[in-house]
Amino acid sequence: MNPQNVRGLIGWVRRVFFGDPARRFAWVSLLLTLSLAVAPTKDFFRQSRQYQRQYSKVIERRPDARALRGRMVSGIHQIWLPDLGILDRCTTCHLGIAEPTLADASVPQPFRAHPPIPHDAEKWGCVVCHRGQGPATEVAEAHETTVAWEQPILPVHFIQASCGTCHLDDLPQAPQLDQGRQLLARFDCTGCHKIAGIDRPAMLGPDLTDIGTKVSREWLYKWLKEPRTIADANGNVTVDGIDFGEPRMPTFRLSDSELQDLSAYLSTRNAHPIRPYHFDPRIVASLSKRQDVADQGEARFRQMFCSTCHSLAVTRAGETSLIGGDIGPELTKIGSKVNPDWLAAWLRNPQEYLPHSQMPRYEWSDADLYEVTRYMETKLTDPDLLADVPKLGSPTKTEIEAGQRLFVDKGCASCHVTEGLSPQEDFGPDLSAIGSRNISQLDFGPAKVQPTLIAYLKSKISNPLSVNPSGRMPQYHLDQASLDAVTTALLSLTGPPSTRGMEKLIVARQNPEFHPAGEFGKLYERYKCYACHKFNGFGGTLAPDLSYEGSRATRQWLLQFMENPQTLRPTLVLRMPQFNMPERDAAVFADYFETAMQSPAVDATLDRKQFTPTMAAAGKQLYEKKYQCQACHTIGSAGGYVGPSLGNAGNWLTPGWIEAWLRNPQALVPGTIEPRQAFTADEIQALTAYLLTLKQSGPANGAAAAPSARGTK
Amino acid sequence: MRAGALLFSAALGFAVLAGCARKSALVKFDPLQNAYDTEPDWNDAQRIIPLNYEEAQGKQIFYEQCVWCHADQTPAGPSNRSNVTPAPPLWNDGATLNSLSDAFLEKFTAQGGTAMGKSAMMPAYGQTLTPEEIRAVVAYARAIAVPALRATSRPGQK
Ligand code: HEC
Repeated sequence: MNPQNVRGLIGWVRRVFFGDPARRFAWVSLLLTLSLAVAPTKDFFRQSRQYQRQYSKVIERRPDARALRGRMVSGIHQIWLPDLGILDRCTTCHLGIAEPTLADASVPQPFRAHPPIPHDAEKWGCVVCHRGQGPATEVAEAHETTVAWEQPILPVHFIQASCGTCHLDDLPQAPQLDQGRQLLARFDCTGCHKIAGIDRPAMLGPDLTDIGTKVSREWLYKWLKEPRTIADANGNVTVDGIDFGEPRMPTFRLSDSELQDLSAYLSTRNAHPIRPYHFDPRIVASLSKRQDVADQGEARFRQMFCSTCHSLAVTRAGETSLIGGDIGPELTKIGSKVNPDWLAAWLRNPQEYLPHSQMPRYEWSDADLYEVTRYMETKLTDPDLLADVPKLGSPTKTEIEAGQRLFVDKGCASCHVTEGLSPQEDFGPDLSAIGSRNISQLDFGPAKVQPTLIAYLKSKISNPLSVNPSGRMPQYHLDQASLDAVTTALLSLTGPPSTRGMEKLIVARQNPEFHPAGEFGKLYERYKCYACHKFNGFGGTLAPDLSYEGSRATRQWLLQFMENPQTLRPTLVLRMPQFNMPERDAAVFADYFETAMQSPAVDATLDRKQFTPTMAAAGKQLYEKKYQCQACHTIGSAGGYVGPSLGNAGNWLTPGWIEAWLRNPQALVPGTIEPRQAFTADEIQALTAYLLTLKQSGPANGAAAAPSARGTK
Repeated sequence: MRAGALLFSAALGFAVLAGCARKSALVKFDPLQNAYDTEPDWNDAQRIIPLNYEEAQGKQIFYEQCVWCHADQTPAGPSNRSNVTPAPPLWNDGATLNSLSDAFLEKFTAQGGTAMGKSAMMPAYGQTLTPEEIRAVVAYARAIAVPALRATSRPGQK
């Protein structure tokens, strides 16, 4: 274009547009009109309007079209929660969210009704749980990560994370969240990371101050290399862990020389040498002659119910599984692991070696101790366990010093105590707000994953090197469900409440503690009752809650049971261990239960004498015919497995307990699975009379304190 | 000439604006990524069934209260199903349960066998579980039913 033409064009534009005032005015007003039309036009093409038109068509085809049309409000919908700083326009498109008749799968999204939930969706809106950008009225802006908004919609698979931002206490309605929180605690993530809501326990990994007196340098080398000694074909069954299929100790990627140094350092941790226990020589002399001393030991091991807390790997038809509990470590190869002197000393008094141990202190006779240790040393072994460990020899000074440095550098000191070493501060990053981290704050490194927080977390946890090849985080081996659970729990950590309104919504975590003083308190610590039983909200869930045991069981029965715990329940694998408890200890327990562990709902004055044989006969009819209690309870050998056997109810239970239980079982034991029936007062009296007549002779029969069939509650 | 320029600029403006509005589509979701919880088909562990919140709560209640008699395997060991008469229907037994309405199943669970003229070995749960909880257990049965319950043929739907 030559300059002449350009000048001509400009001249033409001048003339046509601005030639005279009228033209000028006309063009300016046209431009103004057009620019004013931009907003309504944009609004006309807005996605939400398209969805609203689509919704109108969808509901036209429904049988209740009239009613649906009547309730439909067009235009932008808005839920405003000023306390939470939330503005939520999701229902502008999700129009059927509160229409119960639009629940079925034939209704296309985004119009389907929300499944019933405990919170009112119309009041709370959507982004409280689903995240995403509330004010947006375009799909992509509302759901996905954008330049201005980095929090995308949370996939429903991880939605329980949102429950966890307010509900810091256990939440049975959100099992994945609960499991994830348990895993965070179980795997001692708090050893290296700060995680709000999960307290750092007194002991994470075991205290290693005297580990050199317990295991050999070779065993340490093997363990540090790969802390699993048993694995089935799928690598599922491992050293310590039954439900989780994973030892608590993660795998550290240690080089051969690092393994040498660390094993050297640890094998020289023996500040307090073991004093070998001197068995009565006569007992050793008579027992050691016997061929079957280890078999005897195995029988005692079974009778004492060590398997309630410890499991052993059993291989049947080529499949390895762990049988037993997971409160203590798995013991399949313990004989190839620990020094025999250490074993005898440990069994006699675990807390002398490890003050925080949950292992109860049993009362041992020399014969029992000798037999059981022989069993563990000779039968629970694996001659090949250390076959692939190089010859290590005795540790040199250089190795020990290098090992000590590694112990801190690698983070061992974050979970384990040794004398004179303290952990590095803030070894791992603070995770208290990891769940609200923006993508721009994450370093994906070489990981080939989608740019989302969820993908980042999963990649980091399943293989820490994937996002940071030089990172220090050790390797855990989680299955898919556990990985998702841990991810959910991490996503729930969104930092301190952002507003005052939010603060008011937080359901705090309750951590009751129960450590009574006095004679009972000492025995309670000695036998570690709370490892399995609950007392006033504190303790384990493996065995029945004993908070009201004094109202439930008769003194006579308690004394017999503690001396010789038994259960008639045929299906139970885990039972109360045989502590060989002396009579005076049993009496202390019985006294304490009788005075302190009482339920206000139970009438302790109810007298057996007021229940007549006539009542009992009527009760028997009710039990067998009208209510058919035998569906769940056995008397003798006939009946069901769901509840405890009642064959010895008359010796076991107090009349007041039976009566109160029949009135309302959940009032005595919240969450018990016994269904509450609509018994009349006469029926309760008759059934109580009948149950009181059920007695078996012999020591502590009756199943009694047996846990319900699922082992908890 | 003038009219042409006018039309041209107007058309251009609308085209730009229309281009800004993306086409709305009915969004499709991966059912498992968008499930609150899941349960493997009892007859075919490979098939994973998505559960919504209500069905997931029903699953939990089922595994606490009902699994003993309405399943052949329980988390704690042997099932009690062989100890009760008549043998209760398995909770995924669509052939039996699909033909019964939600209202009937809820009433049966709440009132128990005796009140419904059936075996007293089915306890009444009306005083132990809330109506919402009972509805959830029934919703769970519907979700895991084999053969599946077709949504449109669901009897007694509220
Ligand atoms: C102690 C065993 C037992 C337990 C526990 C149990 N049931 Fe049953 N249930 C039965 C028996 C037995 C029947 C069969 C009754 C009959 O057909 O006479 C039955 C039948 C039923 C039926 C009727 C099915 C039909 O075909 O008509 C429903 C519904 C039902 N149970 C629901 C439940 C629910 C829900 C739970 C848990 C909250 C539960 N049951 C727990 C034993 C049990």
